[in-house]
Amino acid sequence: MKYDVVIIGGGMAGLMSSIYMAEQGFKTAVVSKGDPVCSISTGCIDVAGDFTGIPENHPYGRAGEDKIRLSLDYFKKLMEKEGLPYIGEFLQNRFIYTSIASRRATSMVPLSMAEAHEAKKGSIHIISFKGMKDFFPGYFKGEENNQNISIFDAGSKTTIGIATSFDDLTFREKFFNWIGDQTIDADVIAVPAVLGTKNPQAIIDEIEKISGKKIFEIPTLPPSMPGLRLFRTLKRAASQRGVDLFWGNAISDYTEEKGQIQSLIIDQPGRPTIVESRSFILATGSFVSGGLFAEKTSVRETVFDLNVSIPEGEQRLNDSFFDPGHPLGRAGIAVDEKYKPVNSIMKNLFIGGSILENSQIMKYQCGHGMAIVTGLESAKSCEEYLK
Amino acid sequence: MITTDVIIIGGGATGTGIARDLALRGIDHCLLEKKDFAAGATGACHGLLHSGGRYAVNDPEAAKECISENQILRKIGKKCVEFTEGLFVRLPGDRLQYRDNFLESCRKTGISTEIYSASKALELVPNLNQSLEEAVKVPDCSIDPFRLCMLNAESSEMRGGKILIHHKVIEIIKEKGICVGVRAEEQFSGEIKEIRGKLIVNASGAWGSQVAKMSGSDVPMTLSKGSLVIANHRMTNMVINRLRPSSNGDIIVPNETVSLAGTTSITVNDPDNLSISPEEISLISREASQMVPEFDSVRLIRSYTGVRPLLKNTSDSGDDRAISRGFKIIDHKNGMFSIMGGKLTTYRLMAEKMTDRIMEEFGINVPCTTAEKPLDGQDQLSGYPVSNRIEKLDDIICECELVRRSDVEKVIDKVGTKFIGDIQHRTRLGMGPCQGGFCTYRALGMMQEQGKVSDSESIRVLKEFLDRRYRGIRPVLWGDQMREEQLIEGIYLGILGLAEK
Repeated sequence: MKYDVVIIGGGMAGLMSSIYMAEQGFKTAVVSKGDPVCSISTGCIDVAGDFTGIPENHPYGRAGEDKIRLSLDYFKKLMEKEGLPYIGEFLQNRFIYTSIASRRATSMVPLSMAEAHEAKKGSIHIISFKGMKDFFPGYFKGEENNQNISIFDAGSKTTIGIATSFDDLTFREKFFNWIGDQTIDADVIAVPAVLGTKNPQAIIDEIEKISGKKIFEIPTLPPSMPGLRLFRTLKRAASQRGVDLFWGNAISDYTEEKGQIQSLIIDQPGRPTIVESRSFILATGSFVSGGLFAEKTSVRETVFDLNVSIPEGEQRLNDSFFDPGHPLGRAGIAVDEKYKPVNSIMKNLFIGGSILENSQIMKYQCGHGMAIVTGLESAKSCEEYLK
Repeated sequence: MITTDVIIIGGGATGTGIARDLALRGIDHCLLEKKDFAAGATGACHGLLHSGGRYAVNDPEAAKECISENQILRKIGKKCVEFTEGLFVRLPGDRLQYRDNFLESCRKTGISTEIYSASKALELVPNLNQSLEEAVKVPDCSIDPFRLCMLNAESSEMRGGKILIHHKVIEIIKEKGICVGVRAEEQFSGEIKEIRGKLIVNASGAWGSQVAKMSGSDVPMTLSKGSLVIANHRMTNMVINRLRPSSNGDIIVPNETVSLAGTTSITVNDPDNLSISPEEISLISREASQMVPEFDSVRLIRSYTGVRPLLKNTSDSGDDRAISRGFKIIDHKNGMFSIMGGKLTTYRLMAEKMTDRIMEEFGINVPCTTAEKPLDGQDQLSGYPVSNRIEKLDDIICECELVRRSDVEKVIDKVGTKFIGDIQHRTRLGMGPCQGGFCTYRALGMMQEQGKVSDSESIRVLKEFLDRRYRGIRPVLWGDQMREEQLIEGIYLGILGLAEK
């Protein structure tokens, strides 16, 4: 069987591409080595820290404001449809709380974090869990030594463990009864993001009903439930639209003929799987995701060995840890206006996501936003090509 | 005000060794260290307990001291010395004549050797360079310098010695030209303490000149920077040396779960302002990979650098390695002694000589027993076998090094620490591949729970830690370590929003 399009990389960009292509009626597949960085993210959509500071040669520059807005709308409608609604507008900052009690700007957040935007640090009642490894309420005490903290014994200490317990109705009942016994004077309740592995709205509604207070979740260190919920929702959405998923094995090779990639060969125990397609979208991410690999003095693209642009004549890394965006972070694949790699003969290959040259997602705080926009835009170019 | 007999400045192997020796001889003392134990050359070395082989050809006296101390430490410090044994490997091109010299010098200095054929050596250490000619086995060991200092300090404290870490000496008090005490600043709170004593011992290693200057004395020293890298797994179970005259990057030492390789030797002026150049890293990797080829591609998780405080001598060969690694006691004739030079392997002997001198000064005759009595506190060091630690996986808060919550809580409670480094040294928290990326947030949260730091203090401590961590990792950022680093940046600069614009 031959696909119309095969997307390499099951992260934010790749899954958005695949959902779009499947919705346009193309026979689509995603090949992913494993679960993406998206699954350990805060689950919030950072679009840009400061939009005016983004240079022309950034992938946003190519897309332009209208397409960014359009892509984000597409994402928002999709999440609404899939039962994990997001709130927030393009070019408007929304605030969330981090697990060190700092306020952090983002653009779109799942509804479970909506109330954080208005909450004042001194008037938050923290609900946490006994012995929890990745959330320490002490960070919220503040100068005024806020003691509005209640600790529930969930019987588990890990984020995933507690979240899984919340999927269980008996456990929830026990938790709701406990909440009813707590004295809560503060205006709003905050809880580490462990209220179930799926959309926590029902749990949030119940807590609000019992306590009479608004509540929001705080994303924890990885593994982080809001990121996992986002990833799982998108993966399911792709699957339900008929996208075939090849998950958990790396690509070992590919075949090419006359400037056309013909097929991918996926490493598998026993015998390799061969996936044939008319077109391909590469969305394997940057270093952390394994799309790029930093050698001591050069950078390698890991699937097709594409030419990687790296900044020349300056040091690769910043001097300070707190200065985001190393020069090395600009490394990536240079593309034309159709998201085709400029230094490659492959005519049926398109590139999306943070593997694009100059994306520097840490510097511009544009991770998921950039992935959504370039994932969809590269898919649209591919669509044009296939027609 | 604290009143004591002997004030020791410096919490490295020499300082803590003197504290233990004084304690065993019943002399009251107080040790001041501006950071944690082993913060200078002691903690920044290979963690190699020399057999003496390295020195046998050029410095037979040092070699004799090494083998004698090697045997003593193996006996008294079972929980901080691992008897790995070592190989001196001869590679194609390494001169046969050096090997003959080496064997003869070892025989003369009492270092046992055994010649292994290439195939026998490869059997013991399979990832050695396949083309080696032969190897010579010597009784080298791996030693944990942090543990060593802590156990020495423990021996002192349980006999009434006062050990003050994170106390920086800012002034030496003199009366009528004689040193009578010091003022020290507690490094977290800034509180100033005055300590009075009959004698001051300057055992501050690379900072020796600075300390001596405070009393108006001079200590001529040469500072030689040595850098090392840490590979993320234990590539060899034996210490690997090159069978040729000592040079850069010629030693690989297994230490717990990792391997260390080094070193370089570069003269520097300021022990507080050190950096590691990319050239040093590639030099070490290149040299180490000649002995163990895998070293060229292995994932390096960190680099570090320290300063050897060497005695200045008159010979001017230009190479710091030619300067004696022997030690010297200097009587400043003003109530202060400086003990300078030396090496980790002979720290106990240095302490013994220094303490003998102090006893002489006090006119008391009690013999040294540090070579016979085991280090105190070793029975409390637990955590092995590893299955003890992973009974409850929920309680593991450093997944890389399998450190339990209770281990960390114990340290926070006992040391009362406000520094992440203190916990790292005592538990190995944060010493694995992610270099504290995940567990530091947790350790700070636990310090808050125990009321040691406030939330704003912990952000400060966290930033200091991340800064120090990055300085160690930056020189080795490529490959998988770069992947990991992007993840850690994602956590601290992204998820926790600590980026500074």
